[in-house]
Formats: sequence, C-alpha cells, structure tokens
Amino acid sequence: MLKKRRPLQSKSEIVLRNIVVIFLVVYMLIFLVVPVVIAFAGSFHIWNPLNGTYKWAGLDNYIRMFQYPTFWLSMRNTVVFCAVVVFFRVVLGLALAYAISSKLMKHKTFFRTIFYMPTVTPLVAVAYVWKIMYNPQFGLVNHLFGFDINWLYDSKFALVAVMVMTIWKDFGYAVILFMSGLISIPTDYYEASNIDGANAWQTFRYITLPLLKPTMVFVVITSLISYLQAYVPVMVMTEGGPGTSTFLSSYLVYDQAFVKYNFGFASAIAFFILIFTVILTIFSFKLTGETSPRKKVR
Amino acid sequence: MWRKVTAICLAVSMMVLTCACGKSGTVTYKGETDTNPDKGLEVMGDHVTYDPNHLVNDGDPIELDWWLWDAPDLFGSIAEEYEKIHPNVTIHIINNPWDGFWTKLPLALQKGEDGPTLFNVHNSYQHLLLNYMEPYDIDIQDLEEDFFTAKSHEIDGKIYYMDFGIMTGAIYYNKDMWAAAGLTEEDIPKTWDEFREVAKKLTIMEDGKMVQAGFNFNGDFENLMQGVPYQYGDTIFDETGTVPRLTQEGQIETAQMFLDFYEKDHVGDKDFGTDAAQSFGQGQSAMVYRWGHFYGYMETNYPDINYGTFEIPTATEDPFAYDRYNGESTPGINKNATPEQKEVAQDFIRFYLANQEKQKELCMNYSLFPSNNALRDDKDLLKNPAIQAVSEHIDNYIWPGAMPATLGDNLKIACQDMMYNNTPVEEALQNAEDIVKVDLSNQEFVASENLYYRYSEHQ
Amino acid sequence: MKKRVLKIVLYIVLAVVGVITVLPFVWMILSSFKTNEEISALHQTLIPQNFTLENYTSLQSNFNFLRYFGNSILVAVIVTVLVVYISCLCGFVLSKYEFKGKNLIFGFVMLTMMIPWSVTIISRYTMFMKAGLQDTYLSLILPVMVSGFGIFMMKQDISSLPDELLEAARIDGANEFRIFHQIVLPMSKNSISAIAIFQFLWIWEDYLWPYLMIDDEKKQLLAVGLTMFNGRYSTDYGGLFAATVISIVPVIIVYTIFQKRFVAGATAGSVKG
Repeated sequence: MLKKRRPLQSKSEIVLRNIVVIFLVVYMLIFLVVPVVIAFAGSFHIWNPLNGTYKWAGLDNYIRMFQYPTFWLSMRNTVVFCAVVVFFRVVLGLALAYAISSKLMKHKTFFRTIFYMPTVTPLVAVAYVWKIMYNPQFGLVNHLFGFDINWLYDSKFALVAVMVMTIWKDFGYAVILFMSGLISIPTDYYEASNIDGANAWQTFRYITLPLLKPTMVFVVITSLISYLQAYVPVMVMTEGGPGTSTFLSSYLVYDQAFVKYNFGFASAIAFFILIFTVILTIFSFKLTGETSPRKKVR
Repeated sequence: MWRKVTAICLAVSMMVLTCACGKSGTVTYKGETDTNPDKGLEVMGDHVTYDPNHLVNDGDPIELDWWLWDAPDLFGSIAEEYEKIHPNVTIHIINNPWDGFWTKLPLALQKGEDGPTLFNVHNSYQHLLLNYMEPYDIDIQDLEEDFFTAKSHEIDGKIYYMDFGIMTGAIYYNKDMWAAAGLTEEDIPKTWDEFREVAKKLTIMEDGKMVQAGFNFNGDFENLMQGVPYQYGDTIFDETGTVPRLTQEGQIETAQMFLDFYEKDHVGDKDFGTDAAQSFGQGQSAMVYRWGHFYGYMETNYPDINYGTFEIPTATEDPFAYDRYNGESTPGINKNATPEQKEVAQDFIRFYLANQEKQKELCMNYSLFPSNNALRDDKDLLKNPAIQAVSEHIDNYIWPGAMPATLGDNLKIACQDMMYNNTPVEEALQNAEDIVKVDLSNQEFVASENLYYRYSEHQ
Repeated sequence: MKKRVLKIVLYIVLAVVGVITVLPFVWMILSSFKTNEEISALHQTLIPQNFTLENYTSLQSNFNFLRYFGNSILVAVIVTVLVVYISCLCGFVLSKYEFKGKNLIFGFVMLTMMIPWSVTIISRYTMFMKAGLQDTYLSLILPVMVSGFGIFMMKQDISSLPDELLEAARIDGANEFRIFHQIVLPMSKNSISAIAIFQFLWIWEDYLWPYLMIDDEKKQLLAVGLTMFNGRYSTDYGGLFAATVISIVPVIIVYTIFQKRFVAGATAGSVKG
C-alpha cells in the first residue's frame, strides 16, 4: 500500500531530522528513562523516598500484588471503566460533533462552547455538585428518574455513577477533536456523494467515517491511555468505596504511594499497569493502523 | 529558522543563568539588632517556664520559616508576640494547602538548611518526619508535670513534638427534637442500651419511610470502631505494641451493635443521607457521634441548629476506657537548620509551651481539650459543648499512638463492607487486620496504648 | 419538509444534551453566590435564596489571587506555545521522514503518556532539586514541554498531508525549515488549535508539581491557591466555587480564540486533499 518514500536527500532534511532525534532522545533519557529506572528499582524495595526508607525486598512487592484481592478487583474495575467510558466518549463525541457540524445547524459556536464547559471545570469543584445530585435522600438523579438508589454507596451502582460523571466531564474532549477532524474533510467529497445519490447514513458510513479514521485512532488510543491512569474521579467521588468496590488500579497506585507511603508496592502495581497499557496500545495500533484509509480514498 | 532556534536556546539558557545566580550569594538577615537583655518582663509558665529577659542569637538579626496548613493568623500571633520580646527575630509564617502538605514538607526538609526551621506536625505523619526532627531542649520531667499527655510522645527518652490539646468523640443531639420526643435532661443515656431506647424515641417514620433518624453514623462507623472496643477492654495492638488485632470479641461486638442499630432497631439507615454530619446539620438526624471539630463545622455551615452534647455511652458501668483520643501537635524543629536558627527555634518552643494564654486560644479555635494542666478547669473552654462533653473522664481516653493511615483506612473499608456490602463482620475485620499487619511490618510503629494508666486491666 | 423535521429533531436532541451538560456547571456558578449555609442546606435550590458576593470579595484576602492568576497565565502561555511548536516539529519529522529507529522513538514518545506519575514524581523532584531548579518556572516548563499527546496528534495530522505538496515545494528549492513553517504549520491549524486548547487547560489545572517545586509565595500558581479552600476538616465550598468560576474564565477565552479556527476551516472549505 505505502510506497517507499525516498531516502532523505537534502542537507536541511538531515539537519532537521538530527535536531529532532537528538532533542527527543536526550529529553526522553532525562525525563522518561531515569525516573522510570529509579521507580523500577524501587519496586524491588520497601521504599519511601519521603523518609529515606530503602530496603531490599526482592520480589515481595510483586508477590504481594498478585495475592492482593483489591488488586484483581481494581484491574477488573479498570477494564470495565475503560471500556465503557472510552466507548461513550467516542460515540457521544462523534455524534455530537457530527450533529453540530451538520449544515442544518446554526448556533454552532453556542453548542460547541456548552459541550466544552464540563471539560474545563476542575473536578474537585463539580464533584461536590455531583455528590449532591447522587444523594439518596434529596438528590436530583433519584427525583428526576424516580429511583431509590444510594448511588455512591451501593456497590452495584457506585462504579456506574462514577462512570456517568466521568463521561459527562470528558466527552467534550472527543467533541473538539472530532470537530477538528470533520472540518478537515474537503467538501468536494460530500458533493460527489450527493451526486451519486447516497443517503445521509451512507455518506456518513462510507465517506465521513473512513476519512475520520486518523482522528478516531487518536481519540481511542489517547482515551485508553488516559483512562488506564485515571484515579481522580474515584478519589473525589467515592475514595474507592463502598468497601473496595470502586477501586481502579491507578487509584490503588496513588493510594499506596501517597496515602500509605508504600512506594515500592505502588511501583510494582504501576509497572503492571504500564505493561498492560503498552500491550493494549500496540494492539490498538495494529488493529487500526495497518491500513491507511485516507490513502485509499485519495 | 536558525535565528529562531538560537533565540530560544539563548532564552532558555538565560533563564537557567538567572535562576542559578539568584541562588548564590551570602546569607544576610533582615531585622534589627537587639541589645537589651533585660526586658523587665515576668517569667511565664508553671514547670516549663520561659524567662523573656535574655538575648537570643546574641541579639543579632535572624529569620526563620514556620510552615503550617491552617490558621495562619492564630499561629502568626504567637510568632508576633515572640518577635515583640525579641525584635531581632523574624518568623515567616508560611501557610500551605493541606492537600499534598505531607509530600511537600518531608521533601523540603530533605533540603536541610533550606527547609523550614519550624513546622506544624500531625502525629499520623510522624513516620515521615521523625528523621528530620530535633528533640526539644526542655526537661522531660517539667513537660510531663505541665502536660498530661506528654509522656505518650516520649521517644527514647526525648520529646520531638507533643500535644497542645486533644480531641475525641461525643454524642451531639438536637435539642428541639429531644424536647419534641418528650425527653428531658434526665434521659441522657449512660449506656448503649439506654442510648438505643432514646434513639428509638427520636426516630420518626412516615408511611414506612424514615423522615428523622434517631441516630445516624453514616461515615463515622470507622471512628466508632477505633474507640468503642476499648470499652470492652480490647486494645488495638498486642503487648508488643506492633501487631494489630482487629478481630477480638469487643471489636466484633461493637461492630454488631452498631449494625443492629440500623438493621434491628431501625433508628437510622445506611441510605438515609450519606454523611451523618450533614444530616444532623440539615435537621434530619437527632443524634450523631462526632469529634470536636464538629463544633466549628456547625458554626460555619448550620448556625441555626440548637444542639447539645453528652459523653459517649459505654458498654458497662465502669469501662476500661471510654474512647480513643488524638492530639493536635506542637511544632517540630528542623534538625538540619543552622545552629543559630535552632537556638532561636528552641527558645521559641519554650515560649510557646509556657504561654498558657495562646494555648487556650488554640484550644478554643479547634475545640480541643487542653493538654496543659493549668487550663484543665478553664471556664471559657468548658463553655464549649464539644470540650465540656469529654471533660469529665478525659483521663479515661486512650491514644493508640502515632498510627499511620493504613489502620484507619482499612477499618473504613471494613466498615463500608459490613454496612453496604453485607460482608460478615468477622470476615471484614479479618481482611482489614491482614492488610494492616503487612503494612505496619514495613514501618517502625510502636503503639502507645501501654502508657494508659489502666493498661494492666485490659484483656 | 423532511429537512425541517430533521432540523427540529436535531435541535431538540442537542438542547437536551446541552441542558444535562451545563446543569452541574450552572449549579456550581449559582452556588458561588450562595452562603455556605445555603450550599449545604437540605432544600437545594438552583437560584440563590440569599444572594451574596462575599465569596468573591473575600478571594483576595485568602491568598494573592490576582498575582497567582497572572503567574498561571504566564506559565500556561509559555508551555502552550512551546508544546505546540515542538509537537508540530516532531510530528512532521516522525510522519514525513523515513529513518532507522523512527518507530522506536515514536514508541518512547507514546510511553511518556503512559508513565504513572505517582511513582516517578519524587525522583523527578529530586533530580530537579539537584539541578538547582527549585522555585523557577523552568522547572514547571521542562517536564511538560514535550507532550506525547501533541506529537501523536501532529503525527496523525501531518501524515495525511499529501507528499506531492511537499515534493513540489522541494523541487521549487525550498529547504525543509521553510516547508515546515510555510506549508506544514499553516495547514495544521485545526490540530494546533485542538492541542492549544487542551494543553492550556492541563497546565492550568496541574496542582501537585507546581506545589512541590515552588516555595516562593510570589511565584505560586492559581491551581495551588485554589486548594487552599480544601481544608483538613472541611471545605469552604462557597470560596472554592467562586475561585473556580473566575479561574476557568481564561480557559474559556483560550477556547473561544482557538475554536474560531474550526469555524474558519468550515467556511473556507479545506485546503487539504
């Protein structure tokens, strides 16, 4: 599919490449490799950099991790959380972006700004509002929909409640990115499909979607990566409760590092998540990145 | 392009340079020189005394930083009073946000001299700070004469910080609801059985739906679980003070009792609001178990609620102890500060501990029972309902020690599991015990329970 | 006719989603005019019963609000500009050039997004301390100026630029820097806007790192000041809401500036393809 690009020729190409490569390599060494190596070494120790504890522990942290019931529970929660939130972020984001950019719509700026509002609002501030809305006694959610559910304190619903809040907070991200992707699609494609007599769905399915693929890949992968590391929603809404039912792996890492000061144990879990993330990311790239639809269209 | 790149590089290196330059240079202190050692002031304090009539740092100007996370004006007024006596000293009050303070402070102390000379301490973070602390240069006997909780802060014969006041739990009740239920002062319960009956009277149901809870402990269960088992003679740690025991009879009985309040007696409900404090403030719950800071909470958020307090009920007539308490701590001194700064800091701490007036203000501000024996019967303090409720048997409260967060956090998980996830009591407590054991085995924690004067009576 | 119905349906759907979206947000704004007593009252109302401006007027007394605000803007603008430029440059090279190790480098760039900060932040702190960077804005800029998010995005975007366009410019004798500045950058405006919007927001909200690095109160950032409302025993929600409302104004301004790009792109059609 891809034709082999010509090798670098001009001097300026080589210079530019060298600048970027050297810059990135040096930067990565300092800001990525060194801290990661330190943390990796720490995962084999009883480690608390705040008071200087650093005792060899061998594989204890990893063994403890695999025997820790909360760890497995948190991994399960993380997978569910990621799948649901990423799915809704993409679907909602795409649908709304598509709706706003529709030719039928006026007041585009107004709607765009509205959908961006939750994204800019710091979670610590709105979390309180959400907690009130989820209150079993006088919360808006129960009133509005006629439920009688203690949302944040019922292990069947707590994770759902956190996910709903997260989707609310974050779908604006996808709206913005898809908008920017949709704008880049040349109008001639639509005109051509109009002439061919394609209906709205066909146009979306066979023109818009394939052309949006780079944006789609980007949104899915960055969402996946960031939700595998998400812990703030849980921290501000449930602190992992009731019991441990809403623990996410990254919240566990945060809790072990900055509440329990078991940095070694936290590092071990963090590396597990890191490897998990890398595998998932490579998998997603393989799944989506091999063929480039834009080239096909062209 | 090249011009741009060069410009950026230049700009960056300029920034680095300016920063580097900003740091060097010799240290000069601002402030005036003090030449008059005889201030004509009286000696303060009972056993720990402070004689203001001397020069500190030979009267030469000196500055030090004091880090806090709350009440900069109040702590600042102590510093100001000191600066008035010793005009050559400047104490910079630096107020930090609580979130992240316990990460920032130990890291700052790793910088040695560049860290703060004085810093407020919270005892649950002792394990992070002790390495950086200088013991108080005050006779321990004197400290123990003046402060009844001082002994519990002795580490290898030294004191690095101690309490200026202590806080514990009490029952807060809504007086209007109390009267509406036909209850009087006479009905204030002494035991949990009496308490249950009162709670039943205070509960109001309408059409099978609760509209007023007699007793609400949503969110407070784990605090009750850390204190009430003492009433049965159970200590949290074994004789060595290192092994946590959370599955003893008293703990299981306590947990079951509170669960039964909701499930059998229906004096409250796990789904009746999510936060007992809020529910009490909103006039939905008649009684709650809260710690002293609840006084300030009610004052800011719900000033219109007419409430009173009483001591926590007990399981038996003469309990082993009533509840757990915790202290608010005096400042720590950075052991890596300059000798001059340390000298001033030590002098300041002596001033702080001999200054009963300021300790009273602090206790008022936080609704704390004063640690200083001289303030024990202070009328103003006893007017505060939060302090008054705990004052009668204050010696019968136990401080388990400078416990790291793991115990409270895992008990909280256990309590939520019991309450919301229907986990059997023994199983939930056993899980917590297992995890806490591992966490504590990695730290050098020793409990202070054995310092309790009736420790030998425990089971 | 069909179009009309469709249009109405579209508007209704967007309006419903819009209301759900802004409700918690509007609630917060209106709550910033309530007393703390009212914020935690049993009977919650959307509209303040006792309208008060006190939460706003007392902001400056809590900490030097205006100063922190200015500091935050300075840092956020510098970082955003740097991130945008570096992302574009790296994205260009990583998408349009073929060389050995390209994928490896890109892999490392992606890794920067996956590093759990909780276990690296303290070693990073120690590194910065040893380098003498405490209390400098350089310490806030350096660790975020290479953004995996930005580079990945620009790589995606620039790779869809037709090679022929660049080739033509090369034949005309333009060197790579010129191609980058005069062809690639202008054609990536949409993505640049998106990066700018997010990067500004992320820097604006970041709390722990500036809190650890900056000791000097005069240099402190707004996000750190905002947590002052979050005390040990209780939170001053009125103050927190008021400060939050003011603090998101710049983010919205940045957003409105850059989102104009999207509109411009739509009307002008696209140059790409």
